[in-house]
Amino acid sequence: MSEAPATISQDTPGDPPPAKPSVMGRLAARPQLVLVAVLIVLIVVTGLVEPNYFSATGLRNSLLWAIPIGILAAGQTILMLTGGIDLSIAMIATASAYVAANQSPNGALFAIGVGLLVGLISGTLNGVGVGVFKVNPLIMTLAMAGILLGLFTGWATTIFAGGTRMHEVITTIGRGTFFGGNVPWAALVWAVVSVAVIVLLRRTGFGRNLYALGDNAIASRLSGIRAWQVLIVAYAMSGILGSIAGLLVGGRIGAVDLQLVGFLLLPSVAAVVIGGTSIFGGVGTYTGTILGALILGVLQSLLTFLGTGQAVQQVLYGTIVVGLSWMYTRLAASR
Amino acid sequence: MTTTSAPSETGLTSHAAKRWVQRHGWTFGIWILLFVLVAWYTTLIPKFGGFQASTVLAGGTAWIFLGVAQAVVVIAGGIDLGVGGLLVLSSVAAAQLMDGQSSGAIVLIAILIILCAAMLNGFVGWVVSVSKVPDIVVTLGSLYIYQGLALMVLPKVGGGTSGPFRWIFTGSESGIGSNPWPVIAVIAIPIIIVAWWLGRTRRGLSLYAVGSDRTAAFLSGVHASRTKIVSYAVAGVFAALAGFSSVSISGVGNPTTEGGNLTLNSVAAIVLGGVALTGGIGSVIAVVPASMILFFFNPILSALGVNPSQAQVPQGVLIVLVMMAAGLIEWRRRRRS
Repeated sequence: MSEAPATISQDTPGDPPPAKPSVMGRLAARPQLVLVAVLIVLIVVTGLVEPNYFSATGLRNSLLWAIPIGILAAGQTILMLTGGIDLSIAMIATASAYVAANQSPNGALFAIGVGLLVGLISGTLNGVGVGVFKVNPLIMTLAMAGILLGLFTGWATTIFAGGTRMHEVITTIGRGTFFGGNVPWAALVWAVVSVAVIVLLRRTGFGRNLYALGDNAIASRLSGIRAWQVLIVAYAMSGILGSIAGLLVGGRIGAVDLQLVGFLLLPSVAAVVIGGTSIFGGVGTYTGTILGALILGVLQSLLTFLGTGQAVQQVLYGTIVVGLSWMYTRLAASR
Repeated sequence: MTTTSAPSETGLTSHAAKRWVQRHGWTFGIWILLFVLVAWYTTLIPKFGGFQASTVLAGGTAWIFLGVAQAVVVIAGGIDLGVGGLLVLSSVAAAQLMDGQSSGAIVLIAILIILCAAMLNGFVGWVVSVSKVPDIVVTLGSLYIYQGLALMVLPKVGGGTSGPFRWIFTGSESGIGSNPWPVIAVIAIPIIIVAWWLGRTRRGLSLYAVGSDRTAAFLSGVHASRTKIVSYAVAGVFAALAGFSSVSISGVGNPTTEGGNLTLNSVAAIVLGGVALTGGIGSVIAVVPASMILFFFNPILSALGVNPSQAQVPQGVLIVLVMMAAGLIEWRRRRRS
C-alpha cells in the first residue's frame, strides 16, 4: 500500500474554498453537494421502482438501514483519519449484541453496560496492538475479528448458552418510534452520536491530534503527540461505537446470532470513502460519512425492492459501492 | 538470489556469512519452524506415513496458492482482499462445469476458469489503477462481488469433478490418497515458474520496482499501471488454482465458504513469509513454508483434541504475535541503522 496519497483537501472551518467559476469547479469545491444530489437521485429512482416508497414507512426503512452503517462508519472515520482501519468492528458489534442478549435477564442497564464493555475491551486491545506494538491495523483488526469469532463460537455453547433474545428496552430503542410512529429512537441515538463525533473532530484537541497523526506521523511525534495514547483511545472509541451499532441491530431484529452484523462491514468502510475521507489519513469529515451512510441505506432499499436474490444484490452492492467511490475520488481529484 | 564473495580470508567469509543471514535468515528460520512443527506432529499421531503426509500436503495446497497470490500483489505494492472470494468462485465454477464431463473437456474447462480468473482479477487491478480508489476498498468490493457471483453460479452445495482431476491435486481419485508426488509437483511447478519470473525476468522485477517506489519506477521507464494489473491477474491465476485444490479435496463446490477468512490467512501467511506489506520486499518461495505453518495449526490442534471451530482463536493470536515480533525486529533494525 505505497500509493502516493490522493490529497482530497476538505474545507476546514474558517477557510473559504477557492471557487472556480465553472459548475464542475463549484461542485468540486463542495463535494458534499454532489453527495446530496446522489442521495436525492437514488430516492427518486427507488420511488419509481416502488411507488409506496415515498411514505414515512418507506423512508424510515432506509433510515433504519443507514443508522447502524452510520454508527459503524463513525468508528471507521475516526480511525481512517489516523491512517488506520477497523475490520473487526462488525464482529465487535455482533459480540456485543450477543453478550447483551445473553445478559438481558439481568436487566436492561446491565445488559447494555456489558455489551459496551465488550466493545471497550476489544477496541482497547486493537489500539494496544496498533499503537504500542506497531502491528499493521489491517492485520490487527482482521485477526481480532477472527479471534472474537472463534471465542464466541466456543462460548456460545458454554458461558453464553441460553438466552438469545434482547431485552425489551433494547428492542424498543432498536425498532421503536416516537412522535406518533414517525421518528425511530435509533435515529435519536445516531443523532447524539453524530453530534458527539463532529464536536470531537472539529473542536477538541484530541480531534486535532487524529488529523495530525494521519497527516504526518513524524511531525506529530516531534510536536509531542504520544501516538500510542491517541491510537489506543481512538480504537477504543471505535470499539464502543461498534457496540452501540450492534445493540441497535440486535434490538431491531430481536434475537442474535453470530452472523448478525457481518454484512455491514463493507458498507461501513464504503460510507466513509464515499463521504470523502481519505483512507491514507489526515483528511475527511464525519458529515460526509453521514451522507454516505444515508446513500447506502437508500441503496439497500432500492435493491430490496428490485426483488432480486441475495446473490445478485451482493454483486450489485459491491459494484455500486466501488462505482460511487470511483466517482467521488475522480471528483475530488479534479480540484 | 544468493551473494558470494571471495572466500580467501576468514574476515571476508564471516562477512559473507553475516550477509547471508541478513538476507535469508528469516526464510531459513521459517523452514526450520515448519520442520519442527512437522516433527512435533509426527509424535502426536500414532502413525505418520505417506497417507498422512499427502493428506496434510493436499490440505495445505490451497493455503499455499492463496498465499502466493497475495504475495504477488503485495510485492507490487497493492493488496487484494478479494482472493478468498475468487477461490470460492473458482471452486464452485469448477464443481458446476466439470460435473460429469470427460477428461478432455475438464482440462479445457480448467484452463478456461484460470483465464477468466486472471481476467476478472486483472480487471480489478485495472479499476484500482485507473480510479485511484484505494486498493483496500476496491478489493473489499471485489470480495463481495466474487462471493455473490459464486452464489449465482452454484446456489447450493453440489456439483462435482472427475477422478483424474482430483488425482492431480490430491494424489488420488477419491480425494484421499497416499501418493504425495502429484501434489508436490502441482505446487512446485507453478511456484517455481512464478519465483523465476519475479526474480529473473525484467517484467517480473518491475513488480518489485513498482512496489518499492512507484514514482522512481515510473521515472525509470517501468509501466507502473500495467505492472499492477499484471500482478492482480497473476494473483487471479493462483486463486483459481487454490479453488481447484479446494474442490478436489471435498469433491463438491460450496458457495457459502467464507472468503474473508481465507483472505486473512493469506495476508498472515505472506507476512510470516517475510513479505513487507508496504511492498517491494519478499519472496514467494518463503511464503510456501509460511502458509504450511499456518495450515498446520488445524491438524495439530485436532490431534491435541481442540474443537476445530475454535482453532481460529490460537491462529488469530499467533498471527498477532508474529506481527508484533516482525514489528519489533523492524523497529530494532531501524534503530540500529
